[in-house]
Amino acid sequence: MISMLVTLVLVFILQFLFYSWWWIIIIPLAMGFLEKDSFAKAVAGNGLGVFILWFGMSLYQWSISGEIIVGRIAEVMGVGSGFILALATGIIGFLVAAIAGYAGFSLRKILIKEYQI
Amino acid sequence: MRMFKTLLAFGSLLALFILLNNNQGSIPPLGKFLNPFAGFWQNGTQLDQINEVLDVKGLRDEVKVVWDERQVPHIFAENSYDVYFAQGFLTARHRLWQMEFQTHVAAGRVSEIIGSKALEFDRLQRRRGLLFGAEQTIKAMEADPETQLTLQAYANGVNAWIESLSPATLPLEYKLLNYKPETWSTLKTALLLKFMAWDLTGRNSEMDLSIIRSAMGKEFVDRFYPDDTPGTDPIIPPAKPWRFDPLIAEEAAPAFEPQFVRDLREDEPDKDNGSNNWAVSGKKTASGFPLLANDPHLGLKLPSIWYEIQLHSPGMNVYGVSMPGAPAVIIGFNENIAWGLTNAGSDVMDWFEIEFRDDSYTEYLYLNEWTKADIRIEEILIKGGETVRDTFAITRFGPLVKFGKSRLQNGHPVGLAMRWSAHDPSNEMSAIREMNLASDMETFFKALEGFGAPGQNFAFAAKDGDIAIRHNGRYPLRNQDQGKFVRAGRDTTGEWRQWIPYDQLPVISNPWRGFVSSANQNPVGEKYPYYLGWEYDDYERGARINDRLEQLEDITFEDMQALHMDNFNKQAQLILPFLLQQIRAENLSEEETEIIEDLKQWNYVSDPDQKAALVYKQWWVRLEEAIWDDELTLYGEARERPTRSVTARELLKNKDLVYYDDIQTPVRENRQDIINNAFHKMVVDLAITLGQYGETWELGKARGTDINHLLSVKGLGRTGLFTGGGSGIVNATKKTHGPSWRMLVELGEFPKAKGIYPGGQSGNPGSIYYDNAVDGWVRGDYYDLHFLTSPDVDNNSKLSMTSLRNYQ
Repeated sequence: MISMLVTLVLVFILQFLFYSWWWIIIIPLAMGFLEKDSFAKAVAGNGLGVFILWFGMSLYQWSISGEIIVGRIAEVMGVGSGFILALATGIIGFLVAAIAGYAGFSLRKILIKEYQI
Repeated sequence: MRMFKTLLAFGSLLALFILLNNNQGSIPPLGKFLNPFAGFWQNGTQLDQINEVLDVKGLRDEVKVVWDERQVPHIFAENSYDVYFAQGFLTARHRLWQMEFQTHVAAGRVSEIIGSKALEFDRLQRRRGLLFGAEQTIKAMEADPETQLTLQAYANGVNAWIESLSPATLPLEYKLLNYKPETWSTLKTALLLKFMAWDLTGRNSEMDLSIIRSAMGKEFVDRFYPDDTPGTDPIIPPAKPWRFDPLIAEEAAPAFEPQFVRDLREDEPDKDNGSNNWAVSGKKTASGFPLLANDPHLGLKLPSIWYEIQLHSPGMNVYGVSMPGAPAVIIGFNENIAWGLTNAGSDVMDWFEIEFRDDSYTEYLYLNEWTKADIRIEEILIKGGETVRDTFAITRFGPLVKFGKSRLQNGHPVGLAMRWSAHDPSNEMSAIREMNLASDMETFFKALEGFGAPGQNFAFAAKDGDIAIRHNGRYPLRNQDQGKFVRAGRDTTGEWRQWIPYDQLPVISNPWRGFVSSANQNPVGEKYPYYLGWEYDDYERGARINDRLEQLEDITFEDMQALHMDNFNKQAQLILPFLLQQIRAENLSEEETEIIEDLKQWNYVSDPDQKAALVYKQWWVRLEEAIWDDELTLYGEARERPTRSVTARELLKNKDLVYYDDIQTPVRENRQDIINNAFHKMVVDLAITLGQYGETWELGKARGTDINHLLSVKGLGRTGLFTGGGSGIVNATKKTHGPSWRMLVELGEFPKAKGIYPGGQSGNPGSIYYDNAVDGWVRGDYYDLHFLTSPDVDNNSKLSMTSLRNYQ
């Protein structure tokens, strides 16, 4: 729970300041690497953190940007509604962050043999 | 095992990163595009917000901008540098992507954005020499300090806007295509002007006519492709005497059979790029003041072609539409004058067959000697990093555009060079700027002298009561029919040596009939001593406008609006009764009988709810195909057909024309047969696409109008608009083409104006100002144009204000 929140907050701050989408790779990778024991936390914690952030921010930005752009892009992308677009945004965020979290976690397992001590 | 899993995880992560960070075909880079912090989610209505104060680097003084309820900026600046700087800044605010993309199209740099699928387009665009022409033009522009200041101020303004952008506020299309804006330069403005010139003068039938002449004979061409379109009421009343001693063109070259028969027709501008304009003298208006109207017909796209603006600085107060990417106002008015443009249609592009020494295309035969061509190496960058080099030969007959297939009997390769007036240095920007400042006919015409390409009919009205129209531009001095066919570029015959002198161009002011008008028809009658070209528009629109203006007295704004929206189909009036007479009633099905009855009842008005308007038009098209295409396709692809009015003349006058027969059938068809056959074919064809005869056959539904996004991305355009009108109709609205700006101006004590264009001020598809005027445009509504004299706005009005302040 805490690691999920840390991911969420860190990605939020960095994206707020520097925009780039690949912060959802960097932070989960680092968070996965810092995660000592729980595979689930590394994967689901990071994934859910980014999912909540991207899905939530999409809904929030939708409320600021208005229906026009969201409606048009839904049509451009061939999806039925803005909600599906926001959900897709969240799911892509989840997928990327979960894989990055797992990659970080398994890298640690190779580099640091802490559980053997 | 662990190692393997880790590698697999990193491998997938890398693959996912590459997948989501780059375009996959037409799919945008999803990671970037969906990113809620910088992706499309950010391109909404919040970008419409108007700030009260904006700090802008590079201004000389404070600039005040009043925004009206449609976000038209009214710029009040203290000096001419600032006024164009602010124009660049604010136009970029609304239209940055569009203006930059169009310069890439003009320069043949589309591959940089969308990859190698645009390579052939880019190659052709480079060979056409738009970039070469722009470079020539920029030399002429930069030689004039005033023009240089104007262009540079505008460019600085655009760049100030670009610098203010963040990844989040970048226009949507950059995000879709995954690239970034580059620095704006004065060359880009020159490129845009060339692009416009191309759009308006780049169509040419020389190759087609050369092929038709060699296949069908000279008489065929003389008869069916005449220099004067039947029925034309010229722009300048033909009775006007010309009081000057004309220059004499050199003797005509003998007829020439080109070897090189490659089709020139790929990707040419629309045939119907035309327009209407007219000016009415105070004698004929209800208010007693002159009135001016204009509606340029162009391909309709979103973002819109035009950007509405008012520019106010010491000595200047001008309102109208500008071209995103170019300073000043192109069509508009000031306190004293108003002007409108239609395409001149005179021939400013000739094709020459050039004989080359070998396949390097570097030396060509001229006056029996091998002459070196100027060689340019063009580098075409392709998205992803590759660079393609293309050599580009420029002969004294212009750049070599087409080559690569044909050889002469002596083994030498041949190619086609294109001589085009827009390749020559000229300073249209200065002319446009001076036009904006002009105060009467004299100063206006003086300004036009520098406007070389594209050739335009300038309709003009002034507060002091003058009205005038001028067929303006640089036209080469020619023999009759020179430029109608491809010529041999081997010697001096057919070379362009001089332009028709400016003071000998067709012009008329304050004619007795109390109005002037143009609708792309032949500008002059037989008395005019120069040959200008032959591919003018059919007579119908021009004749209808002149009929109406002659009939009308005490003309008001409402009359002018009605004329802009006039859907009367003059061609149908001329020929439909005859076609209906020819129908063999005994062969009609029940449905066909109903259709014929509707056609008989039809009042020739092509309103959107008219089924007969669609049926007539489709019948006519099939009739043209039946008469001409069987012969014209014998020699390769379908060639340019004779015009509507030539075909109509033959049908009405000539019972036994050999071309009525369809040479692909064993029977011999006569006139009545082809009229009936075309009718049956039309009914069958339309029933397949539209179903049973009924509502779906209405013109506005079956044809209507689609305004697509510049990239043709589905979802970003406005399609299925319920419109009437069509070719040869004053309201020249068609499927993807039509009146791109409708403007009416009355020049009283204080100018009063109305206007509308099918789009909106913003280029952002997420903005409410992206397409807010489309529905009004379909209905034929107009907005009142607020011509302001000061930036001080009443707090209760719908206007809002921005101060642009310099910061260092």
